[in-house]
Amino acid sequence: MLYDLSLHMGYVYDVPASGARHVIRVLPLSLPDRQRLVAGAVTVTPTAEERTAFLDFFGQQATAVLVRAPHERLDIRMQARVMVEPPAITADLSPEIGKLKDELDGLWSVAPASPHHLTGPSPRLPHDPVIAAYARQALRPGQTVRETAIALCARIHKEFTYDAEATTVDSTPAEAFKIRRGVCQDFAHIMIVALRSLGVPAGYVSGFLRTIPPPGKERLEGADAMHAWVRVWCGEATGYLELDPTNNIQAGSDHIVVAYGRDYADVAPVIGVLKGYGNQKTIQAVDVVPVK
Amino acid sequence: MSKAPATERKAAQPLVSDPILGYAALPGVADEMLDARGEIKPVWFNLIARLSRMSESELHERFARADRYLRDAGVFYRTYGAQGSQGTGERNWPISHVPVLIDGDEWAAVSRGLVQRADLLERLIADIYGENRLVQEGILPPQLLASNPEFLRPLVGVKPVGGHYLHFCSFEIGRGPDGKWWVLADRTQAPSGAGFALENRVATTRAFSDIYAESHVHRLASFFGAFRQALQAHKQHPDDRIAVLSPGPANETYFEHAYIARYLGFMLLEGEDLTVVNNRVMVRTVAGLKPVGVLWRRLDSSYADPLELDQNSHIGTPGMVQALRSGSLTLVNALGSGILETRALLAFMPTIARRLIGEDLMMPSIATWWCGQKSEREHVAANLERMVIGPAYSRLPFFDDYGQSVLGSGLRETARDAIGDWLEKDGAKLVGQEVVTLSTTPVYVDGKLTPRPMSLRVFAARTEDGWQLMPGGFARIGSGDDVSAIAMQSGGRAADVWIVSDGPVAKPSLLPPEESFTRNMPGSLPSRAADNLYWLGRYIERAEGALRILRAWNLRYAESADPDAPLLADVSRYLKSIDIEMTKAVPAPLLRNIESAIYSASNIRDRFSPDGWLALNDLAKTARRFHEAVQPGDDAAHAMTVLLRKLAGFAGLVHENMYRFTGWRFLSIGRYLERGLHMTRLLGHMSGPDAPDGALDMLLEIGDSVMTHRRRYNVSTARLTVADLLALDPLNPRSVLYQLNEIRTEVEQLPNAFVNGQMSTFYREAMRLHSGLAVMTPEAMDEEVYRKLEAEMEKLSDILGQTYFG
Repeated sequence: MLYDLSLHMGYVYDVPASGARHVIRVLPLSLPDRQRLVAGAVTVTPTAEERTAFLDFFGQQATAVLVRAPHERLDIRMQARVMVEPPAITADLSPEIGKLKDELDGLWSVAPASPHHLTGPSPRLPHDPVIAAYARQALRPGQTVRETAIALCARIHKEFTYDAEATTVDSTPAEAFKIRRGVCQDFAHIMIVALRSLGVPAGYVSGFLRTIPPPGKERLEGADAMHAWVRVWCGEATGYLELDPTNNIQAGSDHIVVAYGRDYADVAPVIGVLKGYGNQKTIQAVDVVPVK
Repeated sequence: MSKAPATERKAAQPLVSDPILGYAALPGVADEMLDARGEIKPVWFNLIARLSRMSESELHERFARADRYLRDAGVFYRTYGAQGSQGTGERNWPISHVPVLIDGDEWAAVSRGLVQRADLLERLIADIYGENRLVQEGILPPQLLASNPEFLRPLVGVKPVGGHYLHFCSFEIGRGPDGKWWVLADRTQAPSGAGFALENRVATTRAFSDIYAESHVHRLASFFGAFRQALQAHKQHPDDRIAVLSPGPANETYFEHAYIARYLGFMLLEGEDLTVVNNRVMVRTVAGLKPVGVLWRRLDSSYADPLELDQNSHIGTPGMVQALRSGSLTLVNALGSGILETRALLAFMPTIARRLIGEDLMMPSIATWWCGQKSEREHVAANLERMVIGPAYSRLPFFDDYGQSVLGSGLRETARDAIGDWLEKDGAKLVGQEVVTLSTTPVYVDGKLTPRPMSLRVFAARTEDGWQLMPGGFARIGSGDDVSAIAMQSGGRAADVWIVSDGPVAKPSLLPPEESFTRNMPGSLPSRAADNLYWLGRYIERAEGALRILRAWNLRYAESADPDAPLLADVSRYLKSIDIEMTKAVPAPLLRNIESAIYSASNIRDRFSPDGWLALNDLAKTARRFHEAVQPGDDAAHAMTVLLRKLAGFAGLVHENMYRFTGWRFLSIGRYLERGLHMTRLLGHMSGPDAPDGALDMLLEIGDSVMTHRRRYNVSTARLTVADLLALDPLNPRSVLYQLNEIRTEVEQLPNAFVNGQMSTFYREAMRLHSGLAVMTPEAMDEEVYRKLEAEMEKLSDILGQTYFG
């Protein structure tokens, strides 16, 4: 599937900001056999006085910009064309959940793709005994890692309500868990904490969803902004599985990956430090359209 | 130091070997002074012989000299928590006066062991942030990096400019019962204590200057000299600055940051002093941005850059990691080096040493087992009574981790089973460490020498000739006689460590040889320091202004005892208008002024003489005491006089001792501007036609100009003469015009007073304000003019801030 993507993130400041430094992570990744970035560009207005691109630890293309002069608003735009392959259908080769630890112990690597990075805790996701207890309830004897992850994904989808007003970007999984509400970020965080508590390495995926569904299908939740889902390590043979608890589906050709990380802190689309007072308003608009 | 029962008899009688009488090593414990047979080691002969010839009173006199030195030098470290309502407090450096003596030959062996270790640590961190061979080859478990909060992913693959990650390390070492040294902990993040070691040395030599001079003690200065030289060599451009990067005055070892910066002649900076421009780290100074080439970092890595490291950090510099990636900055030590302090790593050091340097460790580390591995976990469980169990990823040694570690032998039987389960479940997060026994060293307690456990903190610096050890350092002394290392966590003192050779030792100094003398002008003043100096000047002057008004008020109140008399009521109203509510004779807002001055001064400790700091704190202490006790009237008037005198003492110290450069100018401008504002406001309020009787005389008194007025005007006080003397007289150091003239003179000397040959906005405004007032006549000075003048002076302050502190 070939998509044209556009993203607009705008920041409007009450009082002009200055000396603003941002690290931007919004360009889709190129992933062998899965996704290919055909073309893509990030623009910033007002024009940045300084601009540097670098690859972060997990392999994401990041752009660092500095807008020194006072400005009342900042607009970050990304446009890209991406080729996405439908995921291959595979048999469940993942081990029983109790056997995963041995596989993990046999893996002597800290390369960016190593599941050791995803065992937790991570900057935004400390261990949480309440979520851990919730995860244990979902456990059935003899279940494989993959079955467990899929069951947990379904359960979160069923028991949690999508509510854009209930949480903010800074909410903790514990807060969202308590009210059983939130958005993709909260659901992904809760599922990651739950999986890690069972000894299953799990990480955060940020990306985009196709905006208009194919004819006859329902529109997916979370398509009007950047989306988030979960990647689960299911053992050496299976590798990673990507599950979207917001929509209770496996990430497929409607999901476009931007970044992998341990949690939101690793992949936040924009991290900024600026001089300014007062409040700011944030605008986000996303369009993901199949190319005819 | 406990007070000695210095009775006449004791004072008169020499101790004659008293201090060592009854001194004996504890059973099964090594002692620094006594050898295995209980004989005094040769290196201690002279010190002990001299001590034993001293009377108790002489000994106390000597100790008091050391204490006085530390007090006068203002040596302190900050303590957190249980300090009453204050929360944090400054604690005097707890010196133990008797030094620890170590034989030069033995020290050479210690040095070899620690140099080997420093080299090993360098290779280890290069592998951790580089190829990760140790993980791939199954030597280092991947979790120890991947789950480690000090494994800073943005730094992976970032090679330090110059090739080295580590430049300054310290080691905590202890001596076991067999007499051999052990490494208890490695410090690589931001090792503290080197400055304290220096001060400890100075203090101890105050007590024993004669003994020090005749013992061949290795000097410390050359160590710092060599390190300073090494840092100089890291500059990539001649214009690059070298600075100490501090987390700020709230940090427990801030004194040391300021001390080292002053001692080595580097700038003392905080994260907000720095900004990154085109991938270069620059310091904001009053003369603009200046490049920084080398930072001695005393701030934990994760706080250094909120953009790429801890996003919640408010003390970092956004973009610093970017500057490191581009290779424009040398950091001592590299960001991420805290990972080497991870306790669990100690378990792998022997294998890592064999793999990375092909050698066994000359000095072993304390035996450590990481419980993430089955056989190691079982070993710890089976030998609980010899173990301390603690967090695997902790960077603190177990005797310093605020009670996070548990002693296996201290557990009851029932608890031991629970520990077994704990190890099984959370093994990867835990380590077991052998409870080591430390050696003892003689400490003077209650009139005699008593064995107390000790460990050494040793410092290593990378110099142009490789790693160099500070010959000495300091010894941490336990407070009781429990010799297990874990007992070191409670209280304790620090003693100087003398490395003593048979023959004479070189006596280096930090000064370069005379023929190479150059006069370096002070570097550019950081904007934040200028800001603090300016406000220090303003707060000090504000306090003085308030004191003068309050004294005049109380003198009159002492006569009439009627606070509602027109003049007193009027002055009370004025005080209220400047936020001084007279609920007490020494009002709380006055104290706050002084506290604000202290706060400003605390941010620039490196630019301040310890004398000035002590004077300022003494002023605050007295003011607080008066606030509680003093009654209105005569008592209060006297209190104000005392406070004014102390304030003048501080001002005098600054005036006499501060180098006349940019910093001094900002402090002075702050004082002049505040004094000008004070006088302008007062004149506006008290010299109007409907001012109460006696207001003009009181004004002259507050303005310290009664005598001058009497001499200069052959008439009684009148509105015009008062305005002439207090507003317009260019020779009266209390007049408004005088302040504006002084400001103008100082401004001429500031950097960027001229931009492209034209006056800067600030300079122009200062000129305009001065000449505007200079042409005024006393008749024209009315309330409206004063109000306008006040507003313009406030505006001048804003422009100053925008020009130099922004």
